Amino acid sequence: MPNASKSSKGLIHIVLIIGAIIMVFPFIWMVLTSLKTFGETTQVPPVIFPEKFQWENYLNVFNSLPFLSFYWNTIVSTLAKVIGQVIFCSLAAYAFARIKFPGRNFLFILMLAVLMVPGQVFLLPQYMIMAKLDWLNTIQALIVPGLFSAFGTFLLRQFFMSLPKEIEEAARLDGCNHFQIYWHIMMPLVKPGLLALAIFTSLWGWNDLLWPLIVNSSPDKMTLSAGLASLQGQHYTNYAILMAGTVLAIWPMILIFIFLQKQFIEGISITGSK
Amino acid sequence: MKKLCLILVSVFLLCLVSACSNSESGSGSSKVTLRYGIWDKNQKPAMQKIVDEFQKKHPEINVKIEVTPYDQYWTKLETAATGKSLPDVFWMNGPNFIKYSSNDMLMPINNLTKKDKVNLGNYPKALVNLYTFKGKTYGIPKDFDTIGLFYNKKLFDEAHIPYPDETWDWDKLKAAAKKLTNKEKGVWGIAARMENQAGFYNTIYQNGGYVISDDKKKSGYDQPETIGGLKFWIDMIKDGSSPTQAQMTETTPSALFESGKVAMIYDGSWMQIEYEQNEYTKDKVDVAPLPKGKKKANIIHGLANVVAANTQHKKEAQEFLAFLGSKKASLIQAKSGTVIPAYNGTQKLWVKSNPNVNLQVFIDSAKYAVPLPSSKNTSKWWDDETKILNKAWGLEIPVDEAAKTLAKKMNKDLAEEH
Repeated sequence: MPNASKSSKGLIHIVLIIGAIIMVFPFIWMVLTSLKTFGETTQVPPVIFPEKFQWENYLNVFNSLPFLSFYWNTIVSTLAKVIGQVIFCSLAAYAFARIKFPGRNFLFILMLAVLMVPGQVFLLPQYMIMAKLDWLNTIQALIVPGLFSAFGTFLLRQFFMSLPKEIEEAARLDGCNHFQIYWHIMMPLVKPGLLALAIFTSLWGWNDLLWPLIVNSSPDKMTLSAGLASLQGQHYTNYAILMAGTVLAIWPMILIFIFLQKQFIEGISITGSK
Repeated sequence: MKKLCLILVSVFLLCLVSACSNSESGSGSSKVTLRYGIWDKNQKPAMQKIVDEFQKKHPEINVKIEVTPYDQYWTKLETAATGKSLPDVFWMNGPNFIKYSSNDMLMPINNLTKKDKVNLGNYPKALVNLYTFKGKTYGIPKDFDTIGLFYNKKLFDEAHIPYPDETWDWDKLKAAAKKLTNKEKGVWGIAARMENQAGFYNTIYQNGGYVISDDKKKSGYDQPETIGGLKFWIDMIKDGSSPTQAQMTETTPSALFESGKVAMIYDGSWMQIEYEQNEYTKDKVDVAPLPKGKKKANIIHGLANVVAANTQHKKEAQEFLAFLGSKKASLIQAKSGTVIPAYNGTQKLWVKSNPNVNLQVFIDSAKYAVPLPSSKNTSKWWDDETKILNKAWGLEIPVDEAAKTLAKKMNKDLAEEH
């Protein structure tokens, strides 16, 4: 018997190792490509290892694009969106889940309807609002439309709904008003939900391409993903340079993932979505 | 928890404050800033040089280049046009030109030509016509591209076939493609790829056919000559001189050419840089004029610089536009080797930018070139082309049937434009 379990364990490990290689391969390929010459990247059959590591590719992107402003804009806008969503979505979600008020269901359905509409539909109206506010080509244009989301409200509402009524009643007996119940009692209890929302928002914020590209024009007001996209040529693209830029763009996210791995996995398994 | 929340909220406020204070405060001086929208990263260095030259002459004008990748450029431009915030000066291409000019988004350049700032005789006529709508010209040609027959010298030597030259016609090409094909080695004579600008549009016009009528109201796909231009390619897939459509979907035709699997490929002048830098093709590639069918023809397309109709700095934008159309600006582009400059006479410098390949072919082809077909909503029938012709290229339906279906669909699209 011990033998059998040993071999089955071995099998599981082999499967896991293969899975891990498949997952990591694109990243390794990205790093290898970022060190090739332009000629090597277009070679067929592909070369795996560059003949000579082209470290200057990194210098090249760093000099041709204002990476420091990209980092700053991306970090500031992502952070602001995460905090905004955690605050605003949880407030709205609390109201939808725990307060009975006339028209609540109607309003909730109205908000859900926003979830059903593809994001591209909002592009033009949101752009017009930004233009009217004279906010085109500013960093707040990146932030403000992302401060609230129907998804976040829906997600957190489910968490608030699952909390027992007794806690709320006990708090009320002790003289708490709604805001105090929300802030002191409920928020600490839905922490896993808040964490999941924060993770999703930061991933979306970090990767969002179309909106920053449309609303902002000058390089020093771009985010990383939008700035990287501008490395693509019309007829051909220097993939080595593009990949070097990509490595520079994603390392913060990889670092965060490594440090917050447990929370990432928890957040995703709780909500059951990616 | 309380502390954490407090920290989070204060960070949030800090972010907002810093974001707002970061916003444009305006330089305060009377300097005018022009926005110049382009889509090709590879051309940005040359554009920056042109801007620098311009600013030397006009220190009161500041030009900011905005690069948006091609895939998002048109989405952005359309949004900006609706929101009335188009860049002051920007790149335009043939397929999109009529859409913008017919919606009054572009400023006609007649007052520049009147004041002798710009002489349209300096640019190839086909290009000026491409940017003329209802008798008014809206753009100054910036560059152009034509199509050539790229070939792999090594594969020709091995098959003992002389290199293609200007005497070649369709029959010679087909015979050579057959001879170059070597099933054992996995080499095909030609890549009969489904590609309009660099592919079947050329052969349609070489065969005396047309894609769209001059009044932009009728499709030419039901004409026997047009169908003949499509057949040219499909015949070569049928007789095995070209990889199948499935094989060319799996590996792109240019990748097949870059790995010595395909001996010949029709491609645009823009590809010479990539073929020249590829490790495999760099010492094997050369280019010849397209073989003639019933007559010589070649598809020419080029970008133009245009000024937005609602720019706030009309005078400065037009000043910059005129400079972009100048000989000096064309020479700067020519030196970079990225594109063929539109200003007549400056192309020689581009030809010299890569002496290993006979680039003169692309310049000579412009003499008998046809402008890239377009209408008000070009992308609509381009989509139809891809969808319907794909079946013909995949040998699922006969080419006549595909062409006639396409003609019907395209006529419907064109009717909707008016």
